[in-house]
Amino acid sequence: MKHIRNILLCLLCCICCACHNIDEQPNTVNGNFELLWQLFDEHYCYFDAKGVDWRAVHDDFAPRAENCRTQRELFILCSEMLDCLRDGHVNLISSFDTYSYREWWAGYPQNFNRRVLLENYLYFSYASINGITYAVLPCNVGYIHIPSFSTPIGEGNLDNILASMAGCRALIVDVRDNGGGDLTMAERWGSRFVTERTLAGYVSHKTGPGHNDFSEPYPFYYSPQPLRYVWTKPVAVLTNRSTFSAANTFVGFMRGRENVTLVGDRTGGGSGMPISYELPVGWGVRMSAAPMLDAKGQSTEEGIVPDIRVDITDADIAAGRDAILDRAINFLTAPAQYD
Amino acid sequence: MINFRYFLCLAVSAVIAFGAAAQSDSIVRPVTSAFSLEVGAAHLADTYLTPLKYSGWHLGIAYSRAQCMAFDSRWQLDWSVGANFDNVQNPARNATMYSADITPQIAMLRTWRNVGYKGVKVGIGPALRARAGVLYLSRNGNNPAAAKGEITLGAQGFANRRFKIGRLPVTAFYQATLPVIGAFFTPDYGQLYYEIYLGERNGLVRPAVWTQYFSLDQWAGLDLHLGGNSLRLAYHGDITSTKVNGIVYRNVRHSFAIGVVTEWLTLSSRRKSPQNISAFY
Repeated sequence: MKHIRNILLCLLCCICCACHNIDEQPNTVNGNFELLWQLFDEHYCYFDAKGVDWRAVHDDFAPRAENCRTQRELFILCSEMLDCLRDGHVNLISSFDTYSYREWWAGYPQNFNRRVLLENYLYFSYASINGITYAVLPCNVGYIHIPSFSTPIGEGNLDNILASMAGCRALIVDVRDNGGGDLTMAERWGSRFVTERTLAGYVSHKTGPGHNDFSEPYPFYYSPQPLRYVWTKPVAVLTNRSTFSAANTFVGFMRGRENVTLVGDRTGGGSGMPISYELPVGWGVRMSAAPMLDAKGQSTEEGIVPDIRVDITDADIAAGRDAILDRAINFLTAPAQYD
Repeated sequence: MINFRYFLCLAVSAVIAFGAAAQSDSIVRPVTSAFSLEVGAAHLADTYLTPLKYSGWHLGIAYSRAQCMAFDSRWQLDWSVGANFDNVQNPARNATMYSADITPQIAMLRTWRNVGYKGVKVGIGPALRARAGVLYLSRNGNNPAAAKGEITLGAQGFANRRFKIGRLPVTAFYQATLPVIGAFFTPDYGQLYYEIYLGERNGLVRPAVWTQYFSLDQWAGLDLHLGGNSLRLAYHGDITSTKVNGIVYRNVRHSFAIGVVTEWLTLSSRRKSPQNISAFY
């Protein structure tokens, strides 16, 4: 009987020791603020790349957090703190507002007007599938506008789109105002522009809470799909500041192709794959957590500079012109392209 | 060719010998099978998905069967399978996480009867368990799910005692499974499943040792013997806790189980006066 009692006591000790502890923050102003700061401290991936002293940010904002009396006051303070990161993938989501860093696009010209495009270039004669608009321009150049990578599109759809442009001399892929979405969709599109397995970039992740705890960058590749249409003629990719996240990754991949020229404005960046958490108060938190690099091993978090830099001016807007599209057409139809 | 004939003869001889042994066996070994439905509370936490602890309700079904072995009736083979579903919410009650898993298990137990007291039966032995499941947290856009997978080797034990409440025969029982060693799946600290999809699969399988993996599955209850079948009323507690790569996962379930226990056997008309040795009672 004594042995049985000892065994049971040992078992109880094992159970108590083996249940791993989880640090919890209380649902108070201070608890929510501290957990928000801690989540970023342990999981955000661009502190050093952006030169942000996160500890100093804490010391600056923590005393002010103690003075917050309402959820809205705390939300505004936390939003102000997160602005220090200058990251479009950072969000704080409450029941009454969503914080987003907007300066990555708000401080720049939009460089895209869909109405002008449809009316003056496509003449309202275009095909559309899953949000994608495509048509053959009068100059015999194919045009595809991909507004998002969030909407799934099938390989058969891509075959139909590209096959309808098989007779075109060149192709324009417009990813202006494409805020990203699913990276597998970016891969699906990118795979249509390679004839063999091609290095597309690298991805790494945090291996611990330290600001520099990263795994070795892992290479990833895009490969052509068997029996699928592959585009090998000249391509212009149109970009603006609202080309972000997965669209930025797509542009970074296309930049490395010999037959591809980037036209427009610098992209918005957003090369860190985001991850989500939450606070005791019920607010959602999102942040860049896994940095992606392009095929040259360089970060595109701050955006990708196009080969041909063009802005749409006020005069262009008044005249109903899309200067970026005009420049791409001129480039692709220039005789030098086909020498 | 000679080798083939040799093995064929050996195999045929073995089958004939086994059949003869089976036919001459005057002992029948009924299968004790139990089917239970359980309802209770679940407490879930997975810091890969959220730093908060979730709680809510749990539903489960479990089937188990036990049978004494032909070579020695003091040994019995138990196998079971359970399917679980949890619906839990965060403390603010504005996010829901779902958990589902399936857990098959097989154990070979050495048993002893009349240990200490008359009518007490105890058993203990090695148990091989597998578990596969998933957590899904809908509010997370890029990391909405966490896969769970494990295979462990541990110990399973039980004790029961038969007695009467009034004129009703009752068996009180306790059963526990404690994995000791094995392997389980986990992503790295900040690794996204997209990276795994791309092919980065280093370090995804970790050793299941008590410093980073602990699990205890317990049943305690009563079987009320009503005629040919029994009604099972039991408590089922299931604790799993892991900590590796800076990720803590904990799932604690407490539930009330109600089930039916039956004993069944296949009788041959050639058998005479079988002696009944039950696996469980």
